[in-house]
Amino acid sequence: MKQIIAISLVVLGAFTAWGQVPTPGASQSKKILMLGGIAHLGNGAVIQNSAIAFENGKLTIVGDATTMRLDIAYFDEVIKIQGKHVYPGLLAPNSRLGLFEIGAVKATLDQDEIGPMLPHVRSIIAYNTDSKIIPTVRTNGVLLAEIAPKGGVISGSSSVVHLDAWNWEDAAVATEVGIHLRWPDLLKRTGWWAEPGKVVKNDSNLAQVKRIREFFARAKAYCDLPVPAPTNLRYEAMRGVFEGQQTLFVHTNYAREIVQAVNLKREYEIPKMAIVGGYDAYLLTQLLKENKVAVVLGRLHRLPLRPEDDVDLPYKLPGLLLKDSITVCLDYAGDMEVMGTRNLPFLAGTAAAYGLDREKALQLITLNPARIMGIDHLVGSLAVGKNATLFVSEGDALDMRTNAVTMAYIDGRALDLSNHQEALYEKFKAKYEAADQ
Amino acid sequence: MIRIFSLFVLLWLANATVLLAQKTFPVNGAANPQPSVTAFIHAVVHLDASTTYDDASLLIKEGRIIAAGPGLKIPEGARIIDLKGKHLYPSLIDLYADYGVPGPPKKKKGQGRSVQLNSSTEGAFGWNQAIRPQVSASDVFRVDPKKAGQLRKMGFGTVLTHVRDGIMRGTGTLVTLSERNENYVMLGAAVTSHYSFRKGSSQQRYPSSEMGSIALLRQTFLDAEWYTRHQPREEYNLSLAAYLNQQELPAIFEVPDYHSALRADKLGDAYGKQFILKGKGDEYKRIASILATEATYIIPLTFPKPYDIEDPFTAMWVPLEDMKHWELAPANAALLAEAGVPFVLTSDGLKSEKEFWKNLRKAHLHGLSDSLALEALTMGPARILGMEAELGSLAPGKWANFLITSKPLFDSRCQIYENWVQGKRHTIKELNRPQILGEYDLNIDAKVYDLTVKGSADKPKGELKIPGEKEALKVTVQSKGDLITLVIPFDSAAGGTLRLSGKISYNGGLWDGQAQQPDDNWVLWSAILDESLPEKPARQPKTPELGVTWMPNVAYGSPDTLKPERVLIRNATLWTNTDAGILNNTDLLIESGKIARIGTGLAVEGEYREYDAQGKHLTPGIIDEHSHIAIHRGVNEGSHAVTAEVSIGDVVNSDDVNLYRQLSGGVTAAQLLHGSANPIGGRSALIKFRWGQPADSMLIDDAAGFIKFALGENVKQSNWGIARPTRFPQTRMGVEQVYYDAFIRASEYDEAWKTYQSLKKKEKENTLPPRENLQLQYLAEILNSERFISCHSYVQSEINMLMHVADSMGFRVNTFTHILEGYKVADKMVEHGAGGSTFSDWWAYKFEVNDAIPYNAAMLNDQGVVTAINSDDAEMGRRLNQEAAKTVKYGGASEEDALKMVTLNPAKLLHLDHRMGSLAVGMDADIVIWTDHPLSIYARAEQTYIDGILFFSLDRDTALRVAMQAERQRLIEKMLAAKKAGEKTQPLQVKEPKLYHCDTLEDQHETDHSH
Repeated sequence: MKQIIAISLVVLGAFTAWGQVPTPGASQSKKILMLGGIAHLGNGAVIQNSAIAFENGKLTIVGDATTMRLDIAYFDEVIKIQGKHVYPGLLAPNSRLGLFEIGAVKATLDQDEIGPMLPHVRSIIAYNTDSKIIPTVRTNGVLLAEIAPKGGVISGSSSVVHLDAWNWEDAAVATEVGIHLRWPDLLKRTGWWAEPGKVVKNDSNLAQVKRIREFFARAKAYCDLPVPAPTNLRYEAMRGVFEGQQTLFVHTNYAREIVQAVNLKREYEIPKMAIVGGYDAYLLTQLLKENKVAVVLGRLHRLPLRPEDDVDLPYKLPGLLLKDSITVCLDYAGDMEVMGTRNLPFLAGTAAAYGLDREKALQLITLNPARIMGIDHLVGSLAVGKNATLFVSEGDALDMRTNAVTMAYIDGRALDLSNHQEALYEKFKAKYEAADQ
Repeated sequence: MIRIFSLFVLLWLANATVLLAQKTFPVNGAANPQPSVTAFIHAVVHLDASTTYDDASLLIKEGRIIAAGPGLKIPEGARIIDLKGKHLYPSLIDLYADYGVPGPPKKKKGQGRSVQLNSSTEGAFGWNQAIRPQVSASDVFRVDPKKAGQLRKMGFGTVLTHVRDGIMRGTGTLVTLSERNENYVMLGAAVTSHYSFRKGSSQQRYPSSEMGSIALLRQTFLDAEWYTRHQPREEYNLSLAAYLNQQELPAIFEVPDYHSALRADKLGDAYGKQFILKGKGDEYKRIASILATEATYIIPLTFPKPYDIEDPFTAMWVPLEDMKHWELAPANAALLAEAGVPFVLTSDGLKSEKEFWKNLRKAHLHGLSDSLALEALTMGPARILGMEAELGSLAPGKWANFLITSKPLFDSRCQIYENWVQGKRHTIKELNRPQILGEYDLNIDAKVYDLTVKGSADKPKGELKIPGEKEALKVTVQSKGDLITLVIPFDSAAGGTLRLSGKISYNGGLWDGQAQQPDDNWVLWSAILDESLPEKPARQPKTPELGVTWMPNVAYGSPDTLKPERVLIRNATLWTNTDAGILNNTDLLIESGKIARIGTGLAVEGEYREYDAQGKHLTPGIIDEHSHIAIHRGVNEGSHAVTAEVSIGDVVNSDDVNLYRQLSGGVTAAQLLHGSANPIGGRSALIKFRWGQPADSMLIDDAAGFIKFALGENVKQSNWGIARPTRFPQTRMGVEQVYYDAFIRASEYDEAWKTYQSLKKKEKENTLPPRENLQLQYLAEILNSERFISCHSYVQSEINMLMHVADSMGFRVNTFTHILEGYKVADKMVEHGAGGSTFSDWWAYKFEVNDAIPYNAAMLNDQGVVTAINSDDAEMGRRLNQEAAKTVKYGGASEEDALKMVTLNPAKLLHLDHRMGSLAVGMDADIVIWTDHPLSIYARAEQTYIDGILFFSLDRDTALRVAMQAERQRLIEKMLAAKKAGEKTQPLQVKEPKLYHCDTLEDQHETDHSH
């Protein structure tokens, strides 16, 4: 009972502060045990009657309450969530959350830096924890995001944040986890988005690829120097890619471009690479597997790229890749990508509707992205020792019909799940209710 | 009428005088009359497409044919040309040339982002720069010997030429390809009028879409009508006057594809015109609709080249549509002929005579008969112009325009020797060129060698055998007229290189002359034909095996015609959207396209297909209140603030694969809306997704009229990136005044017409009717509750404003669409009676959607607003059931209400709920069977019926994919074979399908706007 009151207090608090981004949760001081929930661990497993405990921001127990011996008295707070579902916080890769506020207002956009080779540009410092969009995204279970810039050919480095923080330093889960590279298309689209011209061969693809190779060659040579001097910021920023602390994210959808990117990986012995977009990756699973390349699949809710493609091909892509043991996660990049991030769970739901086991589908937005970012020791699944970043939903969170997030924690801190949209709703609802009386 | 009559007299006189034109010219020196007859004898005379005489004659005099046929008496003193074994054909006529007239001026590079609102044509012409009926090709026509030579090489003798610039392009002039002066070659000054949907060099903003071009033509037709009547004159308009003078001329309308051909014809039907349609060569794709136009077509012979498809990954980018067109384009003419569509052929788009003949023969090979092909290039065009007494055959009295060829025209070896135009010879290849190929006994200085000349007459190759030597010597052979030159590279022991010069006699039977040796010694030589080389047999290419046309001829098309079925669906969970609510384990019978019965354990007699839907859900088909798919060449006519005159219904694209994709998401009907670029946009098209049928069959027949309005950032051009905006309005304040102005004008217009209509018959006869103004007419329909508004809107202030405008002008806003701040004014909407059609969760893309909330739909619904969830997005359109589900999540709508938001409620908003949106006996059988709870992400549409026709099912989808893959593979093999056989290929170029949102701004003619 106590906890329910606590929750409604939190919700109530939000109304009084409408229009504001909710206050970040306070550090976890109590030992919390959640009992009886259906725990979707994020690693493919599910526990029907779970016991999940966390203290000091870390998970201490993840197990089956039916078979586990629990010292209830040890905990300061026991939350019973029978019949409800508990999930690790969802992770949105390749996101512009916090870099983007209002699409049509340029002054509110911080995603596109100018220039072609920008590995030294860091998204983390522009991440605005006070973005009004962020609270609306958490409401559906997305608690983590990889914030990636999108300008230039090499866009810069991305960092993983959690979505409840006072400032970007607080928000950072892991900084500079990857470098984003936008691969030149062999086929070039002419025109613009609303008036697309013909798709034509991009004859400068080879020249552009050559420039990328040249950059990698110079950067590698620089990083191999015992003491590089003078300092080159761009090359310095590439060190993590060569040494394997950072993943090289190569953005492309198309088969031959993917082949070119994999060649780059081989040539410069880049330890970690992921293809972002990867629409055609299902045609190249052998190559990707052999070269240990992961895939961040572009938004599944998109039209087939080619008229002949199976009408449901985008929906089936995760299944097709997983079948051949590729590590896959899902992003929400594209039109309305920032505000649409709250629909990330439904992309996994779509993957499940089109042939994937539901727990495997969940993995596409939890453990798999964490692995690809190299932070699966911290987040991505419900496992002892990992961050207590999780949420509870009344029903299956992957289905919009049942997704109803009632509790969420980041590092064991209880989140205020309200947002300004909900506040506006309450405000006007109250107006109409008053008029009705 | 008088004007038209006198014009005709003038035209007739003009024609008559042209013949004599030369006579008015003074002569410098002695006159040069040509009284002799020229007689062509012993020829195979092809009098016309269906009459051929072997060994006949043709007599011409003073540029005209005086007789043709067998057994003619050759007059005394005739100049005789013996054409034994040769063929005579009437020369060809091309109705679609741009010969001798200037092309459209090059567009000036866009000066920043300023917009040209008015015409830049100077003078007393019409308001729109693309309306140029005042242009007369005859005024600007100049003989162009070089171009004339190219066309004559193809075989043409006469062409119709016009200035290809603008929507109304003025008159075309008929000229021969003689190089004499303009007075002589012009056979008709103004013989046709010309039209297109493209505005050409005009940089005036309006029209910027194909529907805009259509509307502009409509209004111009009406204005011209008014112009003949209105007195006293309120304006002088040379454009309208010129147009009125062209009423009796054949009107030729150039279209970019078969879709536009149907549109142009429909436009013509509405105004009593039958256009001749200059097509694109894809008419076979909808041959039944094309035939129904009853138009004559001018068909080009441009065929796509096969694609470079060696790389399988790259080949994936070539759409099946383009592959199929590659295969079937050469069969277009034959398919039209087979269907009975009248047509003529044009060389338009082909650059060389080689290409023209190659493609014409290709069309022939693909089934176009000799006689139809010839007819389509001779008498056919002559008849269209009413010039059959002057041109098109070798009948006496006609112009002596004819071809002398070596063989029948469609023989691949056929050579055109001469192209006579108006009785004057134009040599293309030497007629009596001596034959030099064969085996000769070469006699040089009393030594005899065997000489063989192979290859072709143009590129002969000589080989000389020297007794005792194994290798033959390569001899250079050159002939010019009756002179011949040989070079024999004897080695020095044999006296060194010998150069021979001589003459040819006896048609190649004997060569003789002198030869010079390196030591300057001259010797005599001769060569006697031993044996002519047999003529190469004509290549007999195999008649190609062709695939069939699909409906539509694109991905997921099919050759099958789908029919309505009698289907009994058993044991389903029915979401009725009626008071009956959700019915479990219920049966539903579809019959004659309607829901015939609903009940449990139905006993049905007769034949039917039974489908067990145990565990499955049945809902009415999804209706999308706001869609922009399946629209051609511009979703916005955003050039003016008010464009009620344009209609999306004019430009529906039946071949958009997104129709099929959305069927797979259970969508059965939609409102295709004009974009949101202007406060009053165009009218909507309400369609059912009858995939496979032509556009007009998709339109819902008894649907009410709808129109798009828009408010906010788009209409005030906030995000267009225009540095120097010119179009009013630029603020929300201005938007209100646009409405007041438009509706006050519409109301006055309506009043004027009502007054006129109420006059007594006699008074009416003495009163001029008001000018018909389509824009105001459609706005007046709103005032008279005959047309309904769907208004793009975001912010509460403007929503409020429009309702005030409506209340004070006496109409109702039917639907606010988008309406993301509707939740702030739901009470006012209820009071006004407006519905709302909104997004489930979009926001933050513009400043005006910063207060958008996903609870909006549920709140509107709660307050009693008829609320729908729409897509405005081709992708989301196929997941509308999921979008509806979000209204349960955000704001707690009931599940039944949520489903209604994408079925019954949009049907209500579109005034279609009497036949769609619920499952009840008598309703249209627009039904979806879902594999799961229809609001769940796990649900897939298993079957989608429209009017009882199963347009989509997972089973059929699988079958279509297999068929598509097989068709693709077949065509890839065929393309690879074509490339191997030496056909030139084209690099990959794929059309990117257009996806419209209502923000999409563009100019179909030039892309110079951004969102």
